[in-house]
Amino acid sequence: MSVSALRTENLSKRYGRLLALDGLSLDVAAGEVFGFLGPNGAGKSTTIRLLLGLARPTSGRAWIFDTDAADVAAAHRRLAYVPADVALWPRMTGAEVLDLLARIGPGTDTAYRDELIQRFALDVSKPAGTYSTGNRQKVALIAAFATRAPLLVLDEPTSGLDPLMELQFRQAVGVARDNGQTVFLSSHQLAEVEAVCDRVGILRAGELVEVASVAQLRQLHHTEVTATFTGTPPNLAGIPGVDDVHEDAATSVRFTLSGSPAAALRALADADVATIVVREQSLEEIFLAYYGQNAR
Amino acid sequence: MIATTTAPARPQRVLRGLAVRQVRRGALVVTAVCAGMSALVAVGYHSEALDPAALAALARNPAIRTLFGEPVALDQAGGFTVWRTGTVLAVLLGVWAMLSATRITRGEEDAGRWGLLLSGRITLAEAVRQHLGVLAVVPILVGVATAVAMIAAGVGETGSLLHGSALAAVGLFFVAVGGVTAQLFVSRSAANGVAATVLVVGLLMRMVGDGVPALAWLRWLSPFGLLALTRPFDTNRGLPVSVLAFAASRPARTALLGSVVAFAVRRTMRPLAAWSAGIGAYFLLLGLIARSMTEFLTGNPEFATMAAQAGFPALGTVEGYAATLYALLAVPVGVFVAVRLAATAADENARRLTLLLAAPVTRARLLAAEAAVAGCAALALITVAGIAMWAGTATVHAGLAPGDALAGAWNVVPVVLLCLGAAVLALGWAPRTVAAIGALPAAGGFLWQVLADSVDAPSWIRALSPFAHLAAVPATAPAWPPALVMAGISAAGVVAGAIGYRRRDLSA
Repeated sequence: MSVSALRTENLSKRYGRLLALDGLSLDVAAGEVFGFLGPNGAGKSTTIRLLLGLARPTSGRAWIFDTDAADVAAAHRRLAYVPADVALWPRMTGAEVLDLLARIGPGTDTAYRDELIQRFALDVSKPAGTYSTGNRQKVALIAAFATRAPLLVLDEPTSGLDPLMELQFRQAVGVARDNGQTVFLSSHQLAEVEAVCDRVGILRAGELVEVASVAQLRQLHHTEVTATFTGTPPNLAGIPGVDDVHEDAATSVRFTLSGSPAAALRALADADVATIVVREQSLEEIFLAYYGQNAR
Repeated sequence: MIATTTAPARPQRVLRGLAVRQVRRGALVVTAVCAGMSALVAVGYHSEALDPAALAALARNPAIRTLFGEPVALDQAGGFTVWRTGTVLAVLLGVWAMLSATRITRGEEDAGRWGLLLSGRITLAEAVRQHLGVLAVVPILVGVATAVAMIAAGVGETGSLLHGSALAAVGLFFVAVGGVTAQLFVSRSAANGVAATVLVVGLLMRMVGDGVPALAWLRWLSPFGLLALTRPFDTNRGLPVSVLAFAASRPARTALLGSVVAFAVRRTMRPLAAWSAGIGAYFLLLGLIARSMTEFLTGNPEFATMAAQAGFPALGTVEGYAATLYALLAVPVGVFVAVRLAATAADENARRLTLLLAAPVTRARLLAAEAAVAGCAALALITVAGIAMWAGTATVHAGLAPGDALAGAWNVVPVVLLCLGAAVLALGWAPRTVAAIGALPAAGGFLWQVLADSVDAPSWIRALSPFAHLAAVPATAPAWPPALVMAGISAAGVVAGAIGYRRRDLSA
């Protein structure tokens, strides 16, 4: 049985009349890179605040490697966190903040930290008051990745980073994965999630609506197939898994495919198929479908 | 389809509205306190036939002048009121005006709230101008309310109006100081520090100028000195007010990161040094005038009686003098403790504590570190004041033993503990009110006692102030039972606050 890096059971949080999180049960296995997705106000940050013990759950429980999340002295020895909005003491320099976080944190690989400072091109000699949003985020990212803590909780960590730094971030996540670290990544950047995550959970209005691997998510959704024929296109109506058939031209057919493609492929092979293009929907399209269901 | 659009309002009006919302509550409190105290003291004044020779002796004594300002027109309710409340109210108004000026300009800007504001049609200069303009109305209101309250209490009109104008001018001066430092320095805390230095130096210049005739000109350089120079109800001079009104101010690493406690110490060092310098200088000055003061009161027993009635008993011996003035120490040190814990609340609100609390640091440990460091810094501050006053008395050979000096200073510890308890309680249950609630036992208790003494309130009303329970150490032995009760109340506050702090959701 695999170990859970992070587990919640019926975790709920109510702020006055607003139910921010409704009975979240989630299990993230050790070593996986988990993407946590959802529109603004879906409860992603609330979940993270509960996991970190910054807010108290109305009901339910959470564990970090089988330690109750409320026991922060023990739980936080095994995690590092990057907040969405990094606030630092304005008079302290980046180096001083990193030193402070290393000395009170769960233990830091200083050689790797120095390497990360180079990679993220952060000038740590400046006071934090002069840093831009992106630079403050770099300080928190460097501190978190340098800990080598078994669980990294990242809340929209790249919202202030430029594309070059975003690439460094993806590499750092890759290094973490190779080291066997678990990454819990809350993000709006679907391309980023698609690039680095093994599994994703989708939160909508405080409820978890889907947990699946990126590949599974795609299977759940349709694959778009476009085929051209040297002769007459076959009649695809009634073939299992085939929907939305469009005959764009006399020799070309476009349709969506779900489930096993065997029957459809046989039908195509029987006709004189010239070209075939199979395109999986991007995570973004899948998400727009999810968000769209709730859109007005 | 009907589209509704908001009519473009005049940005200046919107800005003024925003500024009013941010200062109105404090403005009401300051106005009520200034007008209320002035009226109460004027009504409570009991005219006593004072012998002119004794009055002249009082006015000649440098120590009296240093401590309380030049005593003029004490034979009138108005003169007595101005002498009794003028400096206190001017300091109160000055501190509020200066802190509000930096808060509503630099503070809002640092917090990022002006980013949205300035992305519109409004320029930074316009925003600062409108905010300070609104704030500048408050001292005028305070001055008018004070003058009206005094006139209503039956005090002469010219003196009341002059005193009200001078008070308003001091307030305006500190709006300007806060406004200028807020734009000159890199952060709100630096701006506050420099503005507070201006205030403390101004106060010390007034004290030295009043006490040392050769340096009397110093008073013309200090807003508080100018306030005294208006001499309401005496010569009723108007020139100092005009000087005040036009005086625009033109004021000028990896250690301790190893643990939460060390980090709390690091963040406390700079404020502690600044507060120590201010409080130390003040108590050194009090020590230097101790001998002159006690000798005067021994020689003029009727003033000793008067001082006793005004809430300063036993000023005739150096021990009694030290005891009386050390009691005042509780106010700034209590405020210091409240401000330090308010800084913790501000760090939480600004999300600076998030990264610390994501480390293996429990909230209980963080709170314990912050409270313990604030408490120890307060003890250091008290010790600095004790030593400073002793050094002053030793210089003039007033005969205050060092042990007595320290005992007198440490006597205020229970009141400071009450402030600590109140501040921790507020941090646990109402984090936005830490500074106000934390300062209440000391600053509120002191004002309460002064008011109760001024209006001859029944003893049970007086007993509500913690100052009523401080023994006059070193003149008498410490009153242990009330000290222990205060320590107990403080401990209860700390425990209740810690429970609240562990349970609640942290902000932001």
